[in-house]
Amino acid sequence: MATTSETPTGAAGPAAAPPQLALAAGRTQSFSWRRLAYGLLGLVLAAAIWELVSYLKDDPVILPSVQKTVSTFWHYLFQKYPAAQGKTLWQHALVSGARILAGWAAGVVIGVVVGGVMASIRIVRYVLDPLIEITRPLPPLAFIPLFIVWFGIGETPKFILIIVGVVPVMIIATVAALDAVPPELIQASRSLGASPLWALLTVRLRSALPPIITGMRLAMGGAWTSIVAVELIAATSGLGYVINNAGVNLQTPLVLSGILAISVLGIVFDSLLRLLHRFADPSTR
Amino acid sequence: MTVPQQAEAGPTTRPAVEIVGVRKQFAGRSRRAPGRLALDGFDLTVAPGEFLCLLGPSGCGKSTLLNMLAGFSRPDAGQVLADGQPVTGPGPDRGVLFQTPMLFPWLTTLDNVLYGPRARHQLDAEARARAVELLGTVGLADAREAYPHELSGGMRHRAAFARVLVNRPRLLLMDEPFGALDAITRVAMQRFLLDLWQRERTTIVFVTHDVEEAALLGDRVCVMSGSPGRTRAIIDVDLPRPRSIADTETLEFVRLKRRIREALEAEHHDGDGDDGDGGDGGDGAGRVAGVGPAVGHADRSAGEGAH
Repeated sequence: MATTSETPTGAAGPAAAPPQLALAAGRTQSFSWRRLAYGLLGLVLAAAIWELVSYLKDDPVILPSVQKTVSTFWHYLFQKYPAAQGKTLWQHALVSGARILAGWAAGVVIGVVVGGVMASIRIVRYVLDPLIEITRPLPPLAFIPLFIVWFGIGETPKFILIIVGVVPVMIIATVAALDAVPPELIQASRSLGASPLWALLTVRLRSALPPIITGMRLAMGGAWTSIVAVELIAATSGLGYVINNAGVNLQTPLVLSGILAISVLGIVFDSLLRLLHRFADPSTR
Repeated sequence: MTVPQQAEAGPTTRPAVEIVGVRKQFAGRSRRAPGRLALDGFDLTVAPGEFLCLLGPSGCGKSTLLNMLAGFSRPDAGQVLADGQPVTGPGPDRGVLFQTPMLFPWLTTLDNVLYGPRARHQLDAEARARAVELLGTVGLADAREAYPHELSGGMRHRAAFARVLVNRPRLLLMDEPFGALDAITRVAMQRFLLDLWQRERTTIVFVTHDVEEAALLGDRVCVMSGSPGRTRAIIDVDLPRPRSIADTETLEFVRLKRRIREALEAEHHDGDGDDGDGGDGGDGAGRVAGVGPAVGHADRSAGEGAH
């Protein structure tokens, strides 16, 4: 932690404060055009390589050009896919977004509650730790046949599958976040007159909030990565369904459009969570 | 300026802190290893308005003692009384300052100071006015809306002071509060604390392992030795108040430091004489607690000559 050392006069004079504050403000990260320009350069370079390869290959089934992908994306934003009783890309995106949000939100709540209990009661932690360690490395895909047998082919197995991916991440993030709260911070709160409950709510949980939000971001990323697998289950809508179906029909531009849509939605959701994180942790502003 | 220096000031004044026969043992790591006895039969009395320094090596139980006073832990045996009342848990009447300021990083400086009143559901205009005034007192009037990460190390410590003082504590407990600061900031904070105590005269129990800091700040220095923690010596500091950093350069201060240091080191070579370095010294009487004011008020110019 970088600190400006205090001037000897600083102890008494309020006059010493403003320059130090100005200095401190200069340390915080701020928006940089330069960084943005380099980021855009990277994207443009990637698109250029894509374009070059597709030009050399000259086969839209293997790799369509950038223009072809973008125009397909644009076309299906307002055009139903599949043509008969299908949905537009927008609607598919909404369906996937709703599935992910529902599963993710439920998983976050379960994970935070279980993680909170584990961090507070040692015996619960001892009992649950091996269970989590066993389930964590399992890919959600592995559960698909099992969940179809158990929950059928409706929305339930899709919901559960996303939860299964989210919960272990959230439990681990919550336990780690609560463990990392310095005990002195809670002692400080108590000795300032806070009741145990007040200290728990306003210090222990509040202090753990930023790392928990980081866990929520990771879990959200995990949920998006499993959406294609989730929508393999007898789905008739959703971006995962579009990608699967278009792939089967060799409509590569549409596959890439679906991937593009997932990427855009993922970025939007992640940005919202990052905004929340900034709100929760002033030192990252 | 006189200061209530003796714990046994009189039967009429109730001591601010009374510790009687306190014992505290920490569990051993394994079943075979015996628990570490941090304190055993420890007694200490602090008079109202007194500035008491607990000095000792790490592991001598001084922090354990402070934690029990703060109410963070309970003694296994014996009594810990603050203002005549047994300590049963943490409370705003006993302000605690930790080695690091422990500000709440998600709150602005002002909201940190207002945390106590808000937690006790006593946040009113008066509390707000007092918080603003205190931030002015500690030199943070312009940093009211700043977050802790935007403050320098010393500013954070002063914010922590304001956060504790807003509760009008009767007792301030400080656990090596300036230990993690650089030397220049530490001197600034010591000066700040001296000024503060001079104004408010709150009873202070101050844990440190720095001999100079103990001698500069305290009315009495309780020199402790470890395992289990015992009082090695209680040394009265007769330096005149108000004190300043310049006092550390006087002869009497240097003598005092030596007395304290010798008391600290006595445990390591018990009995084998404490001659060694000093030679003449001329302060052989200094070992006993409560040396008269004669030594304390030696004139300052002589001190500087000797230095």
